[in-house]
Amino acid sequence: MAILLNVVLFLPLFGALAAVLLPRGEAAQHKSWALLVSLVTFFLSLGLWFNFETGRTAAEFQFETHLPWIASLGIGYHVGLDGVALLLVMLTTALGPIVILSAWNEVQERVKEFFIAILFLETAMIGTFAALDLVLFYVFYEAILVPMYLLIGVWGSENRVYATVKFFVYTFAASVLMLVAILYVYFHDGGTFDYVAARQSLQVTPAVAVWLFAAFAVAFAVKVPMFPVHTWLPDAHTEAPTAGSVILAGVLLKMGTFGFFRYALPLFPEAALHYRGLIGALAVVGIIYGALMSFVQTDMKRLVAYSSVSHLGFVMLGMMAITAEGLTGSVYQMLNHGVSTGGLFLLVGMLKERRHTRLIADYGGLARQVPWIATIFVVVTLSSIGLPGTNGFVGEFLILSGTWLSRMKAPGWYAALGATGVILGAVYMLSLVQRVFFGKLENPENRHLQDLTLREAFVMVPIVVLIGVMGLGPNPFLQTARPAVDRLLARMQSAEQHLRQQDPSLREMVGTEGPALALARPPAVPALPSPAEGSR
Amino acid sequence: MVTNQDLLALLPFILLGAGALTMMLSEVFLTSGRRAYQSGLAVLVAVAAAAAAVVAPERSLFAGQAVSDGFSSFVTVVACGGLALSVLVGRGWLERRGIERGEYYALALFATSGMVLLGMASDLLVAFIAIEVMSLAVYALAAYPRRGQRPAEAAFKYFIIGSFASAAFLYGASLVYGATGTTLFSGIARGGGGGLLTAGLALVLVGLAFKVAAVPFHAWTPDVYEGAPTPVTAFMAAGVKAAAFAILVRGFLAMVSGTGVVGGAQIGGALGILAILSMVVGNLFALPQRNVKRMLAYSSIAHAGYLLVGVVSAGTREGRQAGISAVLIYLAAYAATVVGAFAVVAALERTAASPDVDPAKAWDIARFAGLAKSRPALALAMAVFMLSLAGVPPTAGFVAKLSIFRAAVAAQQYGLAVIGVLTSVLGAYYYLRVVVAMYMQPAEAGEESETAPVTVSVAVALAVVAVVALGIGPESIAGLARAAAQRL
Repeated sequence: MAILLNVVLFLPLFGALAAVLLPRGEAAQHKSWALLVSLVTFFLSLGLWFNFETGRTAAEFQFETHLPWIASLGIGYHVGLDGVALLLVMLTTALGPIVILSAWNEVQERVKEFFIAILFLETAMIGTFAALDLVLFYVFYEAILVPMYLLIGVWGSENRVYATVKFFVYTFAASVLMLVAILYVYFHDGGTFDYVAARQSLQVTPAVAVWLFAAFAVAFAVKVPMFPVHTWLPDAHTEAPTAGSVILAGVLLKMGTFGFFRYALPLFPEAALHYRGLIGALAVVGIIYGALMSFVQTDMKRLVAYSSVSHLGFVMLGMMAITAEGLTGSVYQMLNHGVSTGGLFLLVGMLKERRHTRLIADYGGLARQVPWIATIFVVVTLSSIGLPGTNGFVGEFLILSGTWLSRMKAPGWYAALGATGVILGAVYMLSLVQRVFFGKLENPENRHLQDLTLREAFVMVPIVVLIGVMGLGPNPFLQTARPAVDRLLARMQSAEQHLRQQDPSLREMVGTEGPALALARPPAVPALPSPAEGSR
Repeated sequence: MVTNQDLLALLPFILLGAGALTMMLSEVFLTSGRRAYQSGLAVLVAVAAAAAAVVAPERSLFAGQAVSDGFSSFVTVVACGGLALSVLVGRGWLERRGIERGEYYALALFATSGMVLLGMASDLLVAFIAIEVMSLAVYALAAYPRRGQRPAEAAFKYFIIGSFASAAFLYGASLVYGATGTTLFSGIARGGGGGLLTAGLALVLVGLAFKVAAVPFHAWTPDVYEGAPTPVTAFMAAGVKAAAFAILVRGFLAMVSGTGVVGGAQIGGALGILAILSMVVGNLFALPQRNVKRMLAYSSIAHAGYLLVGVVSAGTREGRQAGISAVLIYLAAYAATVVGAFAVVAALERTAASPDVDPAKAWDIARFAGLAKSRPALALAMAVFMLSLAGVPPTAGFVAKLSIFRAAVAAQQYGLAVIGVLTSVLGAYYYLRVVVAMYMQPAEAGEESETAPVTVSVAVALAVVAVVALGIGPESIAGLARAAAQRL
């Protein structure tokens, strides 16, 4: 089955190369071709989903391919998926056709280049999640910048050049130091860029590990984005075309949180424990700051962009809790955010296509004119604010309870302050719904608007279905993520053990104090017995 | 005694020299005015010389004054590749302006033969001769169009500063000879002579620093790069830089690897400072440039800084292998990219009615506005070159930067690595500005666009292929570079 992952990974790229040959003038051909390629990619990726094993004997990384690439520099082509990477790959391939379909009418200029950029982007995104070689990961991670830069800069709205240059320079600047850290790792793990081997044999002093973690963390924190390095996000989101916003919110931001989960924490667990309080605090600040900023926005896209800052704060908070619940919730919230915020950007894009404005004040009382759009908007909003029964609830509940139960210093404060973000979220999102869809229809231009078209229904139905399925039956998703979560937890526990051997006065830091939720217990991976339990 | 094997090792040099002489003779005797064969012959000679270099036997030549090895072969291939591409650019550019002559190609071939010899030199005097062979030809090339102010000014500046650098080099070589009684690199490695040797080596390095355009010996670069005819600028950026770095690496390694050498570490430290200055100053000065040709000139200073990082790393025990191969990979990647970029600049250059008209506006970034609409292929190529110069994957520039910084980390030069990556962010900003202009700004009104000459398009296409191939599958080049580094 290993070949399947490679096919899923490179199919969009080859689709993009083939699209180069199609005639420029035939916009419809380009649209259909891109849709076809992304649909085939999605159906093939379902094969990954159904063949992934989560049992006790299952390998950590599945569908692995390991080939030499630049052997004389020690760089290999090594790809494979664990549960978390699989979920994010599925999110990417599922959003692919949705994004392409949503851009059907919006993009009128340079249609050919637009869809080539989208397909190129899809390969780079899947590659980022599938890579198991540090340089290969970096290559995909950086290769995303170019098509995204063009998407915002060429097809964006008025202030696009400023936004896209800011986006590029911010993320490029943040990630170059990670390259130096990767090179340092190479010379201290026996000379390999291979992630699995590096994780095993990395030998660095704690003082150096703190710097290396910082280099990785800065790169990922900008991508997440965490407060206070989030300022590129509102601009990029606001100026990007709908498809760009959806990809940015749906997948690109996850590359930051995934980076923490896959690279920064497992490679430098002790340094991660060192920085945990700081990152957790920044996450909480991000939650509240993002929510407050959302509340005062007059521009719909900007509002949703700031709500992303708030939601990604939850993801980071759950990760820093370093409990089974927190980590699981964090992974789940990555998916939720991709679905619901992606959905919100799609809906905002539909309104904008009809009225050519993003200002909230230009709308009002639309519920009568466009009942279907309004209904779906409300559903997605409820998911975004975490109403029980929707996917958002599962993620936020796991994160907050995981934080509450965690052995951070003052976990109650983190959880309580984080929980205010849920309330603020309800306030700004519901007030958005109210100002756009309810109240009096005062602007005459809003009187005759088309409701959901068939194409748009095809775009939105998968989102709504996912919101319901992931809200009511989260288990398949949680089970898929669980082995990876348990492994990370075991790794963190052995780091804690190591620290406490050196300094017995240290208290326990990983896992929960009391009996945990049934969701994530007992450990699914007996192959890696947690050292903390052994010592008791 | 010169044996057949020696001749075989020197074959690239001989081919280039013979090609140049043939070109000059044919220009005299064949006066039909049809000159298409000349560029074809020059490309053919370049390819043949590169092929000869690949199969050249490894041996010591001229009683140890030169050596043919993997390193010299690699440099020869890069120089010949730069020659072939810039000849293609030159053909179209010169023909449009009606100034195509055999001498142009002859001078380029002579210059390349000097570069090839420079890649082989393991003796200060041979190095000096090679530098002069190369430089005299390039001075003449810079002034090639003869009419017009800028080429003359550029050539004059280049000549004066170049003579000064040569004089410094020669004076240094004489001091080294006085101190050690030999000009062989192997003799330098034995050391002795104390302060006199140090002074001599310092002067030699100053001479070379001028040639590679490292800050603070860079002041000539922007004016010369801007003023010289664009195909010549491409040739200078690709070939002259490669050859100068080849001799710098060989000489510097001899200085630091010897047992009794004075202050090998200090020399490394001095080069490290030059590297930092070049990266910072080159990038900072490139930032405000609106003239693309001048921006590329400043960026070439910054790239000299990155290359110096590799050289410094090669001077340490841990980073020796990684450093040498990184410099070679970087030279190959930079040559392909920069020739391509200048080829695009040449393609966009207006053919002025009279050469006395100042063409500075021809290189303004406004010329690139809307290029993605009017000429999508050219714009795409330029975007690839800009991303490669900025070091964004998956291009050659990324692999090159990766190997340079890998060498720096191997040599535990963390400061150089961190300054290197941070300054490369500045680079991303000004390279992107060209992409912004091409893809995100409307074209200037009333801008008629001439189609690019065929040979220029061919050169651009070849360069794009090279840049992307090096970015995606660099193993063949990286393997060759590593083999070359192991033998050096």
